[in-house]
Amino acid sequence: MNPTEPQPRVTRRTFLKHSVAATVVLGVAAGRAADRAESGQPAGGTRSDSPGQTKVIDCHAHLNHRSRSTWEADDRKLIEAADKLGIDQLCCSILTPRRPATAEGFQECNRWVEDGMRRFPGRVRGYCYVNPGCRQEALEEIRRCVGDRGFVGIKLYNEYTCTEPVVFPIVELAIELNVPILHHAGHAHHPFEDQPRISDGGHLAVLSHRYPEAKLICAHVCGGGDWEWTIKALRDAPGVFLDTSGSVTDEGTIEMAARVLGADRLVFGCDMSMTAGVGRIRGANLSVRDKAKILGGNIARLLQRQKS
Amino acid sequence: MIIDVNAYLGHFAFRQLRHNTAASLLLWMDAKPIDKAVVSSASAITYRNAQAGNEEIFEEVKSHRDRLLPFAVLNPFYAGWQDDLRICHEDFGMSGLRLYPKWHNYQLSDRCCLDLVNGATERRMVISIPVRVEDNRQQSWLANVPDVPLEELAALVKACPQARFILLNGLGFANSPLGRKDNGLPANYLIEISRLSALLDNEIGQLIARLGAERLVLGTGMPFSYPDPALLKLEVLPASKEDKEKIGWQNVAQWLRF
Repeated sequence: MNPTEPQPRVTRRTFLKHSVAATVVLGVAAGRAADRAESGQPAGGTRSDSPGQTKVIDCHAHLNHRSRSTWEADDRKLIEAADKLGIDQLCCSILTPRRPATAEGFQECNRWVEDGMRRFPGRVRGYCYVNPGCRQEALEEIRRCVGDRGFVGIKLYNEYTCTEPVVFPIVELAIELNVPILHHAGHAHHPFEDQPRISDGGHLAVLSHRYPEAKLICAHVCGGGDWEWTIKALRDAPGVFLDTSGSVTDEGTIEMAARVLGADRLVFGCDMSMTAGVGRIRGANLSVRDKAKILGGNIARLLQRQKS
Repeated sequence: MIIDVNAYLGHFAFRQLRHNTAASLLLWMDAKPIDKAVVSSASAITYRNAQAGNEEIFEEVKSHRDRLLPFAVLNPFYAGWQDDLRICHEDFGMSGLRLYPKWHNYQLSDRCCLDLVNGATERRMVISIPVRVEDNRQQSWLANVPDVPLEELAALVKACPQARFILLNGLGFANSPLGRKDNGLPANYLIEISRLSALLDNEIGQLIARLGAERLVLGTGMPFSYPDPALLKLEVLPASKEDKEKIGWQNVAQWLRF
């Protein structure tokens, strides 16, 4: 399928609108003020006080598969929702409707993500989705997407548990390219019958011990079953970051994650549950500085390709 | 003004709850701000004798009745529910119920349940039914409790046209008879919004268009849930200020005669 025509570009006005919304909805202006105070910068009235200074980045979003007749309008609604909630950027993948994904299936999805990056420049960043079982095609696709097309990470779903050797070449390539892997995950005490090879926080911790240089993100702690279990399973795996997304709004989740893992290991996401994603961060009893890290600072660091 | 129709006090068997005393919940409400809340016992969800939870709630909110409105949790299959209903209404001044058919192991269509609904309706009490207590993906190995299907709720509101229901913690109403215009159902139920979307497919907006804003109410699920997501839905909802006022407090104030 051919990429669609570009849609209206982000103007200065719309960018400022997003950023102002961020200060209102997420309260990150205060976080920026705290950061500035710590660095000795003035509190306001200078260019460095620009509300666009710290980006709010949703680490877990999806554009729509084009088998959905309303995909284009629905993609636009996602951007509009981000505008309303003050989310500056969305890190997106598209998954095949049926899994395990074929190579043709994930290649097609990634072309559509690339098209989304063009339609919403500066707002959509791409994860390259692959099925590790398609070894050669998967590795080539990641090189193409990250190397040539500007994708910022890799998305793995549930085709394989992340501790299976078939996944290792993907992790090794992610390390070589210095990009994060957002890995679907969940831990339930009643098995996910439709996902026999789903990974959980414990699997990701094991993978991280095998590859301490890998930048791993454990997906949707608020939509992946027993979140207390997941947080505790990740305690001693400092290479694994925790994505706060999901539809479950249980009070205390973010505070426990920050207490056990540290706010530096939490990355804000919605996974399309937009008000849940933003609301739980707004409601969490954390300092504004920690919230600013979770909302954008941590993932911005993860997305930097240059090794520090 | 904000009134929350979906709040709780006490302990839950499978997860630690914070802000779960009257004093701490009120402090939390002040911070949001939420003016008033309908509360019931979280403990009564798993107590065999739910009335013990109602007694705890009655004591807990005694000096806060201006802001915390207690509802009773009753199990129509447990001995003495008729006495408990009378005590909760007459002695404890509770103006509504919360029912947990899946947790308490009965069907909404069971005769006993209909007797309880009718008994409460005769007392002009409101009956609220949470579709779920917690996400079933995270339930304990000891509990595997399904959500209450919307079709069972639809059958109940139809079977009891004189009763007044508030449907809590639900989702997918827009694809169910409960969310359709001209659905053949009495207009005897309100839908609480805590799990409905306000953006993307905007289920709340769909329900406003079909049923009217008069049929929706704000609930947060606190302290099980952060109240902020539900409050945020109301903030970002593409709806008129008047409709948001109805959802945020007017509808429930009218039903509960605040």
